[in-house]
Amino acid sequence: MSGASLVLSLVKALVVVLFLLNMSAISVWLDRRQSAMLQHRVGPNRAVVYLPAAAVRALLLLPAVLVAGALAVPMWRVVPGFELPRITQGIEAAILFAWFGLMLLAAHVRRNGADNAFEETVGSADPRSYFYGGLVAHLLAAGAIQLLPTSLTTTGDVSWSTGIAGSLAAAVVLGSGFYAGTKVPDGNVGIRLAGTLHALADAIKLIWKEDLRPRRADKLLYALAPLLAIFPALVTFAVIPMGSALCFQDVDRDRMLSFGDLTHLANVLDRSGACPPGHVSLSLAVADLNVGLLYIFAIAGTGIIGAAIAGWASDNKWALLGGLRATSQMVSYEVAMGLSITGMLMIVGAVHMQEIVEWQGRNAWGIFVQPVAFFLFLTALVAETKRVPFDQPEGESEIIAGYFLEYSGMKFGLFFLGEYAEFVFSSALLVTLFFGGYHLPFVDPDGIRIAFGSSTLYELKLTHLAVSLLHIGAFFGKTILMTWLQVFIRWTLPRFRYDQLMRLGWMKLLPIALVNVLVTGLVILAVEAGGPGVASILGTAGQVTQALVALLGVVGTVALVTWMLEPSKPQQFAVSTTARYTLEAGGVKPTKMGA
Amino acid sequence: MEPLDIELDEGELELPNDPMQVNMGPAHPAMHGTVRMVVELSGETITKVDVQIGYLHRGFEKMCERGTWTQVFPYVDRLNYASPMLNNVGFALAVEKMLGVTVPERCQHYRVVLGELARICDHLVCSGAMAMELGAFTPFLYFCKARELIWDVFEEETGARVTHSFGRVGGMAKEPTPAFKEMVRNALPAVRALIDDGEKLLLANRIFLDRIENVGVMPKDLAVALGWTGVVLRSTGVPYDVRKVHPYLTYDRYDFDVPVGTRGDNYDRFMCRQEEIRQSTRIIEQALEQMADEGPINIDDPRIVLPPKDEVYSTIEGTIQHFKIVMEGIKVPAGECYSYTEAGNGELGFYMVSDGSGTPYRVRIRPPCFATMQGIEKMIVGGMVPDVVPTFGSVNMIGGECDH
Repeated sequence: MSGASLVLSLVKALVVVLFLLNMSAISVWLDRRQSAMLQHRVGPNRAVVYLPAAAVRALLLLPAVLVAGALAVPMWRVVPGFELPRITQGIEAAILFAWFGLMLLAAHVRRNGADNAFEETVGSADPRSYFYGGLVAHLLAAGAIQLLPTSLTTTGDVSWSTGIAGSLAAAVVLGSGFYAGTKVPDGNVGIRLAGTLHALADAIKLIWKEDLRPRRADKLLYALAPLLAIFPALVTFAVIPMGSALCFQDVDRDRMLSFGDLTHLANVLDRSGACPPGHVSLSLAVADLNVGLLYIFAIAGTGIIGAAIAGWASDNKWALLGGLRATSQMVSYEVAMGLSITGMLMIVGAVHMQEIVEWQGRNAWGIFVQPVAFFLFLTALVAETKRVPFDQPEGESEIIAGYFLEYSGMKFGLFFLGEYAEFVFSSALLVTLFFGGYHLPFVDPDGIRIAFGSSTLYELKLTHLAVSLLHIGAFFGKTILMTWLQVFIRWTLPRFRYDQLMRLGWMKLLPIALVNVLVTGLVILAVEAGGPGVASILGTAGQVTQALVALLGVVGTVALVTWMLEPSKPQQFAVSTTARYTLEAGGVKPTKMGA
Repeated sequence: MEPLDIELDEGELELPNDPMQVNMGPAHPAMHGTVRMVVELSGETITKVDVQIGYLHRGFEKMCERGTWTQVFPYVDRLNYASPMLNNVGFALAVEKMLGVTVPERCQHYRVVLGELARICDHLVCSGAMAMELGAFTPFLYFCKARELIWDVFEEETGARVTHSFGRVGGMAKEPTPAFKEMVRNALPAVRALIDDGEKLLLANRIFLDRIENVGVMPKDLAVALGWTGVVLRSTGVPYDVRKVHPYLTYDRYDFDVPVGTRGDNYDRFMCRQEEIRQSTRIIEQALEQMADEGPINIDDPRIVLPPKDEVYSTIEGTIQHFKIVMEGIKVPAGECYSYTEAGNGELGFYMVSDGSGTPYRVRIRPPCFATMQGIEKMIVGGMVPDVVPTFGSVNMIGGECDH
């Protein structure tokens, strides 16, 4: 292993840990926000960090400058045969940032009123109309660019046409950043980040709290248990690929990644996505193990030990009960979990995570291939992470807090964090196995291609860098969506009784998983016997599922934006004295989510 | 050769197999109302339980003997703090029974409406808290929102959201506000919609049904033998509702049903409560219909009811009247009486003795929870630890009235 790989591995590990911790904090916030939404109140957002206005402006401008630089600078370089696609990218990016910025500004104006004539003009329209208009503009631009002449200006190494398109996008981003900066008031500005800081403040509080230990607790085991509980949650993420492998040109021809190679990212890949000869690849999983999934099962299994030891070492009967419950529950559900995924492994023929994702990209997402397994796996996974409706080990109304009942301070914090980290990890695992991992529908390694069977409807070439960025964004976006789904589950369902839970695991999930394996095997045999005819039908079916996903994605986004920017009326009960006085005084100001 | 089972015997001897004894409460999340249960567990199954009440004892009955009859109202507010208005009405009725007076019809309807609103709150809190303790948080928040709407009405009418102290001997503290009927009529549909939403989340959920069906079963005859009343009794199949059997106020003039269960399990108790909420809304609608917009609220007896404030400040009769009632109390004729009403949890009885002075000689309460708590042991032995949660939640034990 070269030094560069080692450093990169550390960087990747750092990214994973930071992502897990941040997502844990955000999920905690989301969890609480959900309860606030049900009661029409603002969620926890008391934690404020005061920064001087200049620093806030810099924080707003810095991402804008970075994004603008990334958009503009590479576009001035010539990439042979890519003029038209790159102009498209530049223009589309400009449109994207333009409507997004205008939409945010319009929403802001609607809430806080206009400061100047420009804002008045922008705010006079419904924020959603910018979104709809943006979508139309995207489509129009994509069509119009196809009509451009193929001969576009290039001088030597400089491409004027793509450069100008990129700079246009950069200008929009920079402009938005500057404008946002001017909205920052002078003096010290309190930053709340929509309340997400509150979760971090909670963690700081936990660190400073007194660390109590029951007198007769086992000293060593009591201290060890939280570490054992959080460890598997953090390390299992190592094999999950966060994006497609990056290809670097092997400049020094030593067949290994060295620091010199890192600046030479391959321009384009072919449709198979394989690294061209003379290139070295860099996997975006921290550890690219070929035993991938088996590693996850092996490490996740050790999570039991933390809970069991915590329950035993606390010298508390409720904790002991919680530890016992945790142990038997996790052991039971691991069986169903392993068996439910077997069908998927039989079809893909690999346990390597990257291969599973790539197979899904080539054919269809796991949820379409193994729908039954998805629900089994989701159930078992929720049980593994000990969340509602499977939170018996900590059922706060039954055995108070279960195995971590006696813990306080940051030791409790570690359990808490471990649970949420596991929860984020389980979302990432679900995404990797059943939602195509980092794959996006119709995005091939060489660009966007909408094709059914042998007929191609639309094609847009993309550089390797652009595809990789799309992939990374897709993976994290999907993971966040899955955590959201799990938060919804947690807020909706009551918990099982202990014997009902065991019965569900052994007498329902396990037999269904076994039948699923059997049926999958039979189908695989049938497809093999069917020959190429069946295979091509399945291929088209796979493309149809991709189209379905793309359609659902677009419809879902439109619905979400439409719902979120719905003009909200001030909440009023209009019967109470207070409400009446408030109404007479001009009504309640609509509650804001953030600052 | 030695027989092999010798070693086995020794091994068995070394394993302790005493049942595990744990304390549930008084500080346990499921033991709202501070009850202590000493539970003996075999695995997770409960083999023995000792229910101990009295952790919220405040000497309430003794306190009542210190002030005037009117000064008892703030105390009864804190009996069943989930539905204080029902206690207010119940106590007022008891004193009026001793005095032999009846409040005007408008006041009777007014008391019915406020009481039924309180009953809805009581049932909402109980059902919601039970669901929340089972892990279903959203229905609880929906129910709390519904209660909020009712509390807004209370706030407007009485000035307080929880402990109103609004009842008075011979009437109510104040007339209904002009917007009273409109407010209640506006609030009821919203409350019903929220309850429907919450119920949909629970009753369409297999997990919730599995947790409450056939859990905490109470046989009919035992429930009667233990002196159970209220929803918990009706859920076992006995249609005993004080409002129907011994109508007080104007309950005989309304058309409403008494929901009855069949098995006496948690499910029946939950469903009876939900149905009673709907019946209460029916009663409220009819009472609002029949309630006159004008007319006296308090009886016309200067020995019982305080005079209007302007008379107190401007006439000598008013001043003296006010002085006598406030300083000496209402002179209740010597004797004793037992008066009972249907409170949130069942029959709330007041047994009172008066010696003819302005102060109660003895106030004895018959709280519905006290009888209910005797049955808890029967309901949870043989079940599992998690079953305690819905069972205890569905009997709606309120420490304030139980530990009288």
